[in-house]
Amino acid sequence: MMPLERFLIDFLLNFVAREELNAFLRSPQNTAILVGCLIAISGALLGAFLLLRGLALTSDAISHTVLLGIVVAFLLMTEVFGVEGDTSSPWLVLGASLAGVGTVMLTEMLYRSGLVRQDAALGLAFPLLFAIAVILVSRFVDDAHLDEDAVLVGEIGLAWANTNSHCFENCESVTVTEKHPAARMTRQCSNCRALGISPRDSRAEFIEVCANCGVYRPAQAWNAGLLEREPALVFFPKSISVTLVIALFTLAFVLLFYKELKLAAFDAALAKTLGYRPGLLNYALMILVSLAAVGAFDAVGSILVIAFFIIPPAAAYLLTDRLALLLLLSPLIGAAGAYFGYDLARGQLFGVLPIAEGIALINRLFGLDLIETWDSSISASMVLMIFIFFTLAWVFSPRYGLISTLVRRSNSRRLFAEQVVLAHIRNHQGTAQAATELRVETLHAHFRWTPRKMARVLARLRALGAIRIIAGQAQLTERGENRARHFRRTMLEANNMPAVD
Amino acid sequence: MRRQHILKGDDRRIWLIIAAIALLGVLILPLSQALFGLRFSYTVRVVALGGAILGLISGALGCFAVLRRESLLGDALSHAALPGVAIAFLLAGRELGPLLIGAGIASWLSLRFVAALLATTRLKQDAALGIALASFFAAGIALLAYIQSIPDAGQAGLDHFIFGQAAAIIESDVRLVSAVGIAVLLVLALFWKEFKLVTFDPEFAGANGFRSGRLNALLSTLIVVTIVLGLQLAGVILMVGMLIAPGVAARQWTHKLDQMVILAAVFGAFSGGVGAVVSALDSDIPTGPTIIVAAFALVLISLAFAPGRGLVWSRMRARTNRRRLAARNTLRDLYRYALAHGASDAAVPDAFIRGVGDGSAELGLRELRAGGLATLDAAGWRLSPSGIELARRRRRNQQLWDLYRLHADELGLPVLDADSQSDIATRLPPAAVAKLEKLLPESAEA
Repeated sequence: MMPLERFLIDFLLNFVAREELNAFLRSPQNTAILVGCLIAISGALLGAFLLLRGLALTSDAISHTVLLGIVVAFLLMTEVFGVEGDTSSPWLVLGASLAGVGTVMLTEMLYRSGLVRQDAALGLAFPLLFAIAVILVSRFVDDAHLDEDAVLVGEIGLAWANTNSHCFENCESVTVTEKHPAARMTRQCSNCRALGISPRDSRAEFIEVCANCGVYRPAQAWNAGLLEREPALVFFPKSISVTLVIALFTLAFVLLFYKELKLAAFDAALAKTLGYRPGLLNYALMILVSLAAVGAFDAVGSILVIAFFIIPPAAAYLLTDRLALLLLLSPLIGAAGAYFGYDLARGQLFGVLPIAEGIALINRLFGLDLIETWDSSISASMVLMIFIFFTLAWVFSPRYGLISTLVRRSNSRRLFAEQVVLAHIRNHQGTAQAATELRVETLHAHFRWTPRKMARVLARLRALGAIRIIAGQAQLTERGENRARHFRRTMLEANNMPAVD
Repeated sequence: MRRQHILKGDDRRIWLIIAAIALLGVLILPLSQALFGLRFSYTVRVVALGGAILGLISGALGCFAVLRRESLLGDALSHAALPGVAIAFLLAGRELGPLLIGAGIASWLSLRFVAALLATTRLKQDAALGIALASFFAAGIALLAYIQSIPDAGQAGLDHFIFGQAAAIIESDVRLVSAVGIAVLLVLALFWKEFKLVTFDPEFAGANGFRSGRLNALLSTLIVVTIVLGLQLAGVILMVGMLIAPGVAARQWTHKLDQMVILAAVFGAFSGGVGAVVSALDSDIPTGPTIIVAAFALVLISLAFAPGRGLVWSRMRARTNRRRLAARNTLRDLYRYALAHGASDAAVPDAFIRGVGDGSAELGLRELRAGGLATLDAAGWRLSPSGIELARRRRRNQQLWDLYRLHADELGLPVLDADSQSDIATRLPPAAVAKLEKLLPESAEA
């Protein structure tokens, strides 16, 4: 990670000053939004393919079990190898992605045994692995970065604080030894624990130990007051680089295998026949999903991350029919959700509507006394924001939205009503029953409609110039005649009948 | 008429298993007190009872979720209950009744939300469930975070609804849960026939004038109520496991709905009780995960050992079949070689017989030797008299079947599915066999 961050910072320093960059990265808001956007990008790109293949809930399963991988790797690191646990260590990432792929395989095994259906296999496998992980966390892990709360919501708000420092000028590493002037020596009892005695006991033996010896990197050395000149430092949040790498990886994968992924998503059988090995591609996809889930774990926890996988592609899916557009829109929706979500958590809806006033309104309306400051979980708010965008797409989508669907349905209902009335008039015009069948006052009875509906349909037909009413009798005009004939012909053709007229 | 009252062997076995597990479950507390000298406090006994009752209800209703392929709907519904809990807390404080009502409303709303998404968009079920799950859950988390920012001690215990905390169950909770649970089970019993019908064949139910839509809605509502009751114990995230694991386990043992539901209820009660007690003894362990692990142990046992379907039995069956087939083929090969080289008890070189066939000769030879049908001496493998007799009979049977295939039409024999593994004399009438025997070539009689 370090060389990559270094490269990135060098690149950025071409455009902004070091102080500005530090100020930007030290702001919790900027870092949180950046991390959220990066998670949204990788999640949405992968989620789009999962959605198209009907595997959306697989991301749910993977994100749950990734936790088990993280916890086991974490315990191995801290308990067995004695390394300091760090949830963004590459080993943890590796272990967790293996766990994710393992889940997919376990689920497939379970359901290939023929004893359990697919949904039940998924519903069994991941609660179990998640349950084991939660038991391990609550029983054995005692760490600030890994507790039940972090599992649920992550700590994207604190992402700015966990940084790697990069030094650019005055870089001096200091090694403090026992002879160094700054070394602090303390006395420590060497046999107290072994004998179970207090340091005041006469048998206690003491040794001199150095409390602050070790190698200080420039940033640490400056903090400890060991340097005279301030080093030029850039503090780069680890989460940004982790999520950035994963997002780039995902993007590269999607661009490289666009054709194969597209084929496998829409016609897996054809892909197989053409020799593209959709099974292998599927596992590659699952590995990336696991990677993305691990990368997001720190920031948004292991449950909310599925929102980044599922909801943005679903929203984009309601807006477009083209895969390329879907892949462009869904990261945008996710990133927008992350951006506005931060404001939502701080009490601003879209940056203009304060939630506090909403709560105050509720208090006034229902006589409650709720606290009026809204300060909530950032990751959950990002998800809510993405959901709001989904709802907007659902309601207003030009092709598949609720409104356009309602309009389309009512249009076709109206068109159908007009056509049957025209056909009725055409059938009875000039026959012996014309006088009874075409009387405007009783026309509705022949259709079992309400008189109001009939009046509405007739009024519209008259306005269109398709019928005229002469002495209480409905008659077709020439235009109406044409329309009725055209309708009849298309209906006959649609039903494969000879179009006799 | 009397036959109706006699249970078949299979059924009797299932009921015996059910009774045994139920008895074990009922006796487990007194037994462990007597045997191991464990002392369970009043609290632990209450928790165990609560856990068992909740497990019983969710096991019974979970069967329907499993059978209707709606396992993951259960997952979405349970996650979606969280905002309801939070809002109910804001409005009414920490009372179990209102909290459960709030959870139920939220969960039910998510059910309608999923249905609306499916009806009005082209999203598939998995995506719709994922959207409902993630967004409701996020709303719940956001509200919980808001509640935690309120400086008030009363919010303690709300996060028990996330992972479940059995230790928080008190006697009045158990009473409430039992009352609602009995109501749920009563409705289930009342609409038993209808639920069975819409679960297995909704089209048939619709065609026969049952209102499938309403019955489905009622059944889903019952599942929602069940999920809500179980939240306190298993938590919103893992409730799905408690709902479906007993059903999946029970499904392995039986093909009948009534047995499945009762067995699942017993399994559920067992895992609920065990999970609740284990976690009540150690406050570090949340209840939900413990229950899931207990329930999954039952699933594993069922998958492995359930009679007929279990993996162990089907593996064993496959092995027996493979061995039998290998022995059959090897016997045939030995006999053919021996006949071609003089006498039926001629020796067959070891290397030869291992080289022919599909590599199963090793297995077949071992079987034949164990059965006393063939022996190995310096010259090679030699069929024993009983082996020769068996091989001759099989060969003759095979020839008769071949003749049947060729000449069944012209001889006017009954039409059968020709299966040369079975003895032809048991399939065809003696007169027909006699007709075929006339066609046998003379040499085969020798």
